[in-house]
Amino acid sequence: MKEYLIIGNSAAGIAAIESIRALDASSRITVISDEDYPAYCRCLISYYLAGDVKEDAILYRPESFYKENNVELLINKKVSRVDPKKNRVICEDKSQFNYDSLLIATGAHPRLPEIKGIKKKGVFLLRTIKDAKDIQDQLLINPAVCVIGGGLVGLRAAYALKKRKIDVKVVIKSKQVLSQMLDEKGAGIVQKRLEVNGVDMYMGQDVVEIIGEGDIRAVKLDSGRAFECSLIVVGRGVEPNIDVAKDTEIKIDKGICVDNRMQTSVANVFSAGDVCESFDLTLGRPSMNTLWAIAVEQGEVAGANMAGVGTVYGGSLAMNTTDFFGLPVLSLGKHNVTGDDRDCEELSVIDDKRSLYKKVILKDNRVVGSVLIGDIKSGGVLLRLIREKLDVSGFKDRLLQEDFGYPDILDMVTDREQMYIG
Amino acid sequence: MKQLYYDVKKCLGCRSCEIACAVAHSESKELLKALKEEIKSLPRKQVLFSKNNNYPVSCRNCKEPKCVQACMAVALRYDVKLGIVEHDQKRCVGCWMCVMSCPYGAIRPNIKTKAPLRCDKCIDKDEPSCLKACPTKAIIWQEEKVEKI
Repeated sequence: MKEYLIIGNSAAGIAAIESIRALDASSRITVISDEDYPAYCRCLISYYLAGDVKEDAILYRPESFYKENNVELLINKKVSRVDPKKNRVICEDKSQFNYDSLLIATGAHPRLPEIKGIKKKGVFLLRTIKDAKDIQDQLLINPAVCVIGGGLVGLRAAYALKKRKIDVKVVIKSKQVLSQMLDEKGAGIVQKRLEVNGVDMYMGQDVVEIIGEGDIRAVKLDSGRAFECSLIVVGRGVEPNIDVAKDTEIKIDKGICVDNRMQTSVANVFSAGDVCESFDLTLGRPSMNTLWAIAVEQGEVAGANMAGVGTVYGGSLAMNTTDFFGLPVLSLGKHNVTGDDRDCEELSVIDDKRSLYKKVILKDNRVVGSVLIGDIKSGGVLLRLIREKLDVSGFKDRLLQEDFGYPDILDMVTDREQMYIG
Repeated sequence: MKQLYYDVKKCLGCRSCEIACAVAHSESKELLKALKEEIKSLPRKQVLFSKNNNYPVSCRNCKEPKCVQACMAVALRYDVKLGIVEHDQKRCVGCWMCVMSCPYGAIRPNIKTKAPLRCDKCIDKDEPSCLKACPTKAIIWQEEKVEKI
């Protein structure tokens, strides 16, 4: 009997449990979580805040999941460090756990910018269900909200609050929204969609001070402007929760380094999800790609390898998709051509009236990135072109057409087509 | 488990299957009434033309569905007994992770209803509605072919 230990109870951790249990029904599995909630759909917390989903729809697995899978879940328990030499994990409450095989799926935490007054009461993050509930509790007093950050978390928070008819202003350091996902043109369309729906944007500016004694009264910007607000939501990106592996034999770069089996530099320690740094297909080197779907894939591969069944992960890439007020947005791989990649070719179509913008970036006749706004239905096929590195020179002109789809690539893909006869 | 197959040599691209699909998934289930419904029923199947052939494209209800894996709201679930990927509209938030992850590009977003458009094999009927609508019998409804290894 093996002793499996999993730190983290979200996408990667749950996928690993299911993967292990499919191969090993009897060994012990223990999951340690520092949250006080069974596994939930983290990405739904902004929808919960918007009132789009109720709390009962937020659970990722039914409450019976742990019992049915014979898993011991320990909540409200924070791991302070891993001791790979002794195959042991030590928690903040001094409790210790031994393992034969360990998965570090500790996720990430929101970055807190260095702003005067950032520790004040009334400044919130949006990462956990508790964060969402804490913000929700404040909404009764009809606050004026300032969102700091124009990334996905910031904008989803702004969208959620606006849906609840709350006054929202977003302060964005960059000159564009969603700079990790979109190019300037695409970002402009998204920004416009948010603005016409009543979200105020302060671009290219940063909050330098949060003003107020006791309650928050206002924020001061580096442009010299200031505006009143009583609640602040910070969405300035995330940082991986690598502390548990610091100063150990487990190799860390930006995140915990893993190979294509999700194994760390220590043979019986694996890592998956937002905390790990895995091979990026489009960059050709390891990178941090944080997305629910990626964490699930990685957790599944990690679990299988922990259970001794060799499985290889195909690699990750930056990708994401969302929707703002009926405007679908999708981004894959590279979204900008910078000075360093002069050999990249950009193809795009734009129709401002329809809020439509589609772009692909090619390198050596292979798709390495795409931005789709307004019409995202070819996203799955483009993702496949990126993943399988297929040569598109024969149908470049088709890539952005309205009816481009799977039939255009079906004789090139790796799996054998069975649905179509003749 | 029955599955939909397509004889592309027979497909004329007439899109009768698309219409039948949209009608079958409308409120009224009747063409003329369906056209007047406030929220238009959209087909879950789309005929795409490529290299001299027409290809009806729709969800294959994969056994190892990428969309289910990617769904961050647990709105998609594979039902082993029925052999379909089930969609729970109550849980769906319209994040489009399923659209992004489908390797066949077979899921389209319905922006108005915030729901993915996917074939449900007309599970509440005897057979898929597109089948009868096809004038050339290009759509085949048969037991799944199991690849011999």
